[in-house]
Amino acid sequence: MNIWEIIIITVIKIGAILTIMLLTVSYLVYFERRISAWIQSRLGPNRVGWEGILQPFADVFKLLLKEDISPVAANKFIHGLAPFIAVFVAFSTYAVIPIGPDVTIFGYSIQLVVADVNIGVLYVLALTSLGVYGLTFAGWSSGSKYSLLGGIRSSAQMISYEVSMGFSVGGVLLMAGSLSPIAIVEAQYGWMWNAIVQPIGFITFTVAAFAETNRLPFDLPEAEPELVGGYHTEYSSMKFAGFFLAEYANMIIAAGMIVTLYLGGWQVPYIDKLGLGEIVTALMQVGSFFVKMGAILFFFIWVRWSIPRFRYDQLMNLGWKVMFPLSLINIVWVAALIMIFNL
Amino acid sequence: MGVKKRQKDLTTLDKLYLPEIFKGLALTFKSMFKPKVTMEYPEVKFEPPASYRGRPVLVQEENGVERCVACGLCSRVCPALAIEVRANETELEKERYPETFEINMIRCIFCGFCEEVCPEEAIVMSKDYELVFTNREDAVYGKDKLLVPVHKLKDRLEFLRNFK
Amino acid sequence: MPKITIDGKQFDFNHGQTIIETAKENGIEIPHFCWHPKLSISGNCRICLVEVEKMPKLVIACSTLAADGMVVNTQSDKTIAARNAVMEFILINHPLDCPICDEAGECKLQDYAFKHGTGESRFVEEKQHKDKRVELGPRIMFDAERCISCSRCIRFSDEIAGRNQLTFIRRGDRVTITTFPGEEFDNPYTMNTIDICPVGALTSKDFRFKSRVWEMSSTNSVCTGCARGCNTEIWVRDNKIQRLTPRINETVNGHWMCDDGRLNTFKHVNNEETRIDGPHIRVDGQLTKVTWNEAVKEAVKRLKSFNNTEIAFIGSAFATVEDNYAFQKFSKANFNATNLDFARHVVPGSGDDILICEDKTPNSLGAVLTGIQPVADGMNLAEIINGIKSKKIKALYIMEDDIAQLDSEYETLLAKLDLLIVHASNKNKTTTLADILLPVSTYAEKHGTIVNVDGMIQRMRPAVATEELERSLDQMPMSRWDKFGTKFDRWARGKKYDAKPSWKILGLLSQELPNKLKYKMAEDVFEDVSQHVKEFSGLDYDLIGEMGVKIKSDKITAKV
Ligand code: SF4
Ligand code: SF4
Ligand code: SF4
Ligand code: SF4
Ligand code: FES
Repeated sequence: MNIWEIIIITVIKIGAILTIMLLTVSYLVYFERRISAWIQSRLGPNRVGWEGILQPFADVFKLLLKEDISPVAANKFIHGLAPFIAVFVAFSTYAVIPIGPDVTIFGYSIQLVVADVNIGVLYVLALTSLGVYGLTFAGWSSGSKYSLLGGIRSSAQMISYEVSMGFSVGGVLLMAGSLSPIAIVEAQYGWMWNAIVQPIGFITFTVAAFAETNRLPFDLPEAEPELVGGYHTEYSSMKFAGFFLAEYANMIIAAGMIVTLYLGGWQVPYIDKLGLGEIVTALMQVGSFFVKMGAILFFFIWVRWSIPRFRYDQLMNLGWKVMFPLSLINIVWVAALIMIFNL
Repeated sequence: MGVKKRQKDLTTLDKLYLPEIFKGLALTFKSMFKPKVTMEYPEVKFEPPASYRGRPVLVQEENGVERCVACGLCSRVCPALAIEVRANETELEKERYPETFEINMIRCIFCGFCEEVCPEEAIVMSKDYELVFTNREDAVYGKDKLLVPVHKLKDRLEFLRNFK
Repeated sequence: MPKITIDGKQFDFNHGQTIIETAKENGIEIPHFCWHPKLSISGNCRICLVEVEKMPKLVIACSTLAADGMVVNTQSDKTIAARNAVMEFILINHPLDCPICDEAGECKLQDYAFKHGTGESRFVEEKQHKDKRVELGPRIMFDAERCISCSRCIRFSDEIAGRNQLTFIRRGDRVTITTFPGEEFDNPYTMNTIDICPVGALTSKDFRFKSRVWEMSSTNSVCTGCARGCNTEIWVRDNKIQRLTPRINETVNGHWMCDDGRLNTFKHVNNEETRIDGPHIRVDGQLTKVTWNEAVKEAVKRLKSFNNTEIAFIGSAFATVEDNYAFQKFSKANFNATNLDFARHVVPGSGDDILICEDKTPNSLGAVLTGIQPVADGMNLAEIINGIKSKKIKALYIMEDDIAQLDSEYETLLAKLDLLIVHASNKNKTTTLADILLPVSTYAEKHGTIVNVDGMIQRMRPAVATEELERSLDQMPMSRWDKFGTKFDRWARGKKYDAKPSWKILGLLSQELPNKLKYKMAEDVFEDVSQHVKEFSGLDYDLIGEMGVKIKSDKITAKV
């Protein structure tokens, strides 16, 4: 493959992933609304298109047509910049998450990931930490007390939970012996899924993922009853849509990361033993990735409509006094496993 | 003030919250498959029970005359000052009748006091909850919109006889 | 002094007083229907029954004379039982439909049923049915079913109006009121029976069913129908006067007022056809609406173009003391006016010795006292008219009077003037000739005082809002509607005219002239009056109050 082919293939992959992301985000919102409705014995949006499937597009049009307001007291530049940071970070993170094994199409062997970065996991952790700047900037620049409180909460929460998240990932890295997502996936061959091998790590990572994505029960930065809308109180129109998009994109990334790190990524246990053709196998594997991710996303939504919000002190307690020790225990556990079974 | 003692101290298991969380999740999961209570308005309309207090209307007898004698009691009792009655003399036996009778639906709070105070059972709360206007003037309902034939109000009148 | 004990308290009384009078004087209310302080005692309703110690039976308080050492109990069980019984008895045939009755809200029977009734009736038979719409007279409608046969109306027309026109006929529960054969109930005071009728049996044809009493605001005022100046209340709804009722003032009108004053002194205030809304100037032969500023400038410019001796000023006995004072001050100070007078409207033989005066203006004494008279050898009204004929007078300034109406010849005369400035509230013959027409507030739209035939100076208050008077800001009486209305409510959108009191208009004009009138309120004018007119010295609005003050003057001619 020459350099042009690589560039073209990468551009195609970027395009494909972006499209998938945007569509998934839209439909995630749609499903969130419908599932929440079902949980509450309602019907949810079912008017636009069959069963309301065109609702996301209607929403986008609506947001496009809304007036873009920025408060007098706002720092206009940063106020405008913040949603871009949030969106940019959310979308670039996705580059390193593999959705399937290498496949050969038209004679090209293609990795089903935009960039196989060998420090992929670090990249994700780094970018998600950057993402919080978007929220903090938004909160600070709006010139509103609610936004400011939301922004501060968001950064404090991010710092608290990043620690346990990082330590949980530590266990996975120990098992895989690599920072590359692809290597991590491949290390979970068969039933050696990290969720099974190190359940504590799985739980702490999942909880931390909830916190990082500002989802209920950890949505304190935008807690409506107390902060109106938190950091995005003063946003409207497409700038607001930016945050909205970023939040749901973050959910997808979190789900992708959980699948990659703990649920064997695209792997279907022992599928290679069935002797199917390469294309079929690859398709099934890609499919399995999406199924797993869908399940996690459903779980995200399901939790949101079942569990009430934490109080701020409870959130901090949980982060530092429970999650952090647990993730440390997980590392010791994994290390012990490795020592005993000499994995 | 003394510190209130908890009714029950939590056990370690309780403190984990996990069992409760799973119970909660199970509950919401189950309710996803329960029948829905939403009505798909406007195709399906809510048919309120007789006790429902929709917009107040004037009872029109079979002969086309309103029952109201323009005594102004509803107007006086209305806490929102929604009702304005202008009386005049009529040749009919009831002597006085409302020359104009207006209810400002923007002011009305559907309390039903007018119905309760009316000595003639002439103003009753209907089942009509569809009140839409695009300007303040349209929200003032005159006799043309307020008069409803008595047979359409049977439900409510019966309800009033039984429970008022 | 003899003493009587009522409900455990001792009171002094004068010989000849009845129990009810003594009780009333001392703030104890004994219910009564047929008794009226100004009428003879008939003692037929029996609601005033009270227990008197050592008397075998209850006695009626309205006709039993108080006696020394008498012990009366108005709240004993026996009294209350009797009262309930009387209420039940009266209500046997009285229709129970207050919602329809026009008296509701100011009805004695309704009030007493509320205070003294048991709330239930044992009468299950059919009530007596009688005529519900009987025209007793041109202004009165009678509902025979509602009548409780108290005879107040009969006694009133007999004793107060001096015309024996009404009587009872039939007996028992079929008793009813009627006029004598060939008679109509048409004396000049009939409508007072509406006020004294304790129920809704007598109603005014004019006001019948127009408005509930609680929907109106009421303002204390004075009738402008004649020089008597009966005290009145003005009842207003939707910024329109609905009716006038007399207000008790023993030194002026007692409890009463005449039908003419009641019916014919307020209609013009409401009359949208004839009210003048905003100042007008004659342009190309047509009266055209202009702004105040333009009208004032034009008036001053044109007045200045004449010699002072060519101008005559006519004040008005319809205008207030304040207006007349400001008028003479304005004209004398700025135009050295000598030709100054006002027109008298006396209809000889139209008065009676009850209330009605021959002088049909409410303030002629006030006009005289404030100096609306020719100065030195200036012209009086007749001379002014002659002056117009002989072209000596070229400009005429008329305040609030229809001079053209006085004589058939005046109309053509006024048309000959070079300049005619008129202050008026309604269109009339004079206003059609005016070159400059300045709209004035009626008596119901301003503060002011007038002096009646006996020298009683009395206050008038605004009851109707104009463009310069806002009901709540200017502390005018407000009904519940007025209090809570917003500009979006129909009832709050009653017509408001662009008019000002004359003293204010004169103040505006004087701003363009050397000697300015610096009044901000009617009270300022009156302060000026009290400092310069000896008859009014020491008086102010608070002293005059609701009941008026009698002034001393040699110009009071007992009967006008
Ligand atoms: S329902 Fe209540 S608020 Fe509405 S008109 Fe009747 S009394 Fe007034
Ligand atoms: S209370 Fe009844 S009778 Fe009286 S005005 Fe209102 S609707 Fe008419
Ligand atoms: S009409 Fe009125 S005042 Fe006259 S007798 Fe009857 S109740 Fe009395
Ligand atoms: S007597 Fe004169 S002042 Fe009294 S009400 Fe009649 S017109 Fe008016
Ligand atoms: S008031 Fe005494 S009997 Fe009527």
